Amino acid sequence: MATLSNNDIARAIYLLSKDKTQAQLRDTNGKIVNFLFRRRLLSETRDILERLDKIINYENRTVEAKVSTARKLRGKFKKELLSFLKKRYRAKGVILAEKLDEELLGGVRVEVNDEVINLTVRNKINELQEHLVGKI
Amino acid sequence: MSRNYIIENLKKEIDNFSSRIKAEKVGHVLEVFDGIAKLSGLSQIKSSEMVTFPNAEIGVALNLEEDTIGVVILSDFSKIKEGDEVRATGKILEVPVSDNIIGRVVNALGIEIDGKGVIKADKTYPIEKIAPGVITRLSVDKPVITGIKVIDAAIPIGRGQRELIIGDRQTGKTAIAVDTILNQKDQDIICIYVSIGQKDSKLRKIQTRLEEGGAMAYTVIVSAGSSEPAPLLYIAPYTGVSIAEYFMDQGKDVLIIYDDLSKHAAAYREISLLLRRPPGREAYPGDVFYLHSRLLERACRKNKEYGGGSITALPIIETQAGDVTAYIPTNVISITDGQIFLETDLFYKGIRPAVNVGLSVSRVGSTAQIKAMKKVAGTLKLDLAQYRELEAFSQFGSDLDNATKQQLERGKRAVEVLKQPQYAPMAIEHQVAVLYALTKGYMDDISVDKIKAFEEGLINYTEKYAKKFYKEVTETKMWTEAGETELKKAIEGFKKVFN
Repeated sequence: MATLSNNDIARAIYLLSKDKTQAQLRDTNGKIVNFLFRRRLLSETRDILERLDKIINYENRTVEAKVSTARKLRGKFKKELLSFLKKRYRAKGVILAEKLDEELLGGVRVEVNDEVINLTVRNKINELQEHLVGKI
Repeated sequence: MSRNYIIENLKKEIDNFSSRIKAEKVGHVLEVFDGIAKLSGLSQIKSSEMVTFPNAEIGVALNLEEDTIGVVILSDFSKIKEGDEVRATGKILEVPVSDNIIGRVVNALGIEIDGKGVIKADKTYPIEKIAPGVITRLSVDKPVITGIKVIDAAIPIGRGQRELIIGDRQTGKTAIAVDTILNQKDQDIICIYVSIGQKDSKLRKIQTRLEEGGAMAYTVIVSAGSSEPAPLLYIAPYTGVSIAEYFMDQGKDVLIIYDDLSKHAAAYREISLLLRRPPGREAYPGDVFYLHSRLLERACRKNKEYGGGSITALPIIETQAGDVTAYIPTNVISITDGQIFLETDLFYKGIRPAVNVGLSVSRVGSTAQIKAMKKVAGTLKLDLAQYRELEAFSQFGSDLDNATKQQLERGKRAVEVLKQPQYAPMAIEHQVAVLYALTKGYMDDISVDKIKAFEEGLINYTEKYAKKFYKEVTETKMWTEAGETELKKAIEGFKKVFN
């Protein structure tokens, strides 16, 4: 018998729970917990839930973006960033996880899945340093 | 240089600098252990792609799993920690190559380790490459003269051939390889010695020997010593063959020695087990055959339209207690175009090089053998094999017919003639003269213990009195009737002097 990966389980949970009413969901959740217990997979719950989160986001066309800036994002810029991310990733919704990091000096660093767009001053300085060192 | 000048230049460089906005694919380190890193992310990465870590460490992606990537780290991994950002480079691992590499000792990444300064290189070659196709190849037709009588006569090697040197520990495998390199002086061949998992002291000895023999002028040493991590041992032969390809692409002939592929397979096994690949026979992974076949297939002789260069490969395999039926030896035997089999028994009997002529074979080399050698050594291999069989039989009874006795006597002398000390390669024309004397029966009445002295004297004597013969063999690779008569006379003349 082929082993089930956490991803397979997360996908199965998603398919089971999709389009269910609140009452039905309660019943389904009980069955899922029972299944995880029987298969001794309760220790994997955290990973399975993370994967489930990703699957739900993917199905709902929602992207999770980690945004690092030196200063807090302001209204207009935030709006522009959200519309840019929606357009780039063809997403209906964007979940922003903001992070303040003074070491970035300025600009913004956006991380979506495994893609990084680094527009920070720190990154530019690093690139300039590489450029100058390369000239020596 | 004034301060203003420096500032002006810096300003200019800063003005010229433009940073492009780009979306990069990155991964993160999940865990690091024993030179292996597991990564998340990097969804677009390809197999064998090079990745870089924050402190400029490099790695190669070997395992592409559902949501993790297994990477082998090719440098110090002590600074890599969980959560570090990893970037894909979009290219497979490359090594710097240039003509300046000749005479140098480099590590598995092509970086000098001999302390003679940085090797300037303007080109890089990928370590993994698809082997040349059928259309670009030419069949083997030019010999690699090893200078070792038994090999040049009975198991000849051609340029572009892959000839395995196989035997137990301490049977003289490396000695054959080193002698072959030493004999390539003025032969227009570039030699590459790839040391895989060998002791640094052994490599140093070889390097010194090559330097003393003037062989470093046309030799490159690629070293991945026994103290290096397994990933470096794994890539070392590929680095060697990439350097060889650089020279072959210039139309040059290259001889590459992999010393040894048993340790290479063991290093790959170590990596595979750490990457949790399923073990197979002798715990080697399932693709260990491909590991060696893709390496040795890159040895070839190209036709003129494609540059005309060649790579001759001499892989070495160490057997355990003479067992050639183990997994790696059988694999490499089936990949190569023949094998030189060395035996411990012969070695301790004083027959050195300890080549077992019966078990050794060269599948394509005979077409490359020079005509003169073919003529004198035509039946030598068969005669020697028969001698060994008769020798075993003769121990049971003393009543032997004359023909058998004669064959035994000739065999004893042939074995004696084929003995050769280390670091004493012999020119091909001298080999032809000696073997001529042997096969035509001129040595039959010389006692076995005097054969070596006879051989030495004969070479000196014939060099003086059979100049025409030597000239013909050197220039046309065959003698004429006049040359043969001259040699015969010289041998007879020497016999009178010798007796």
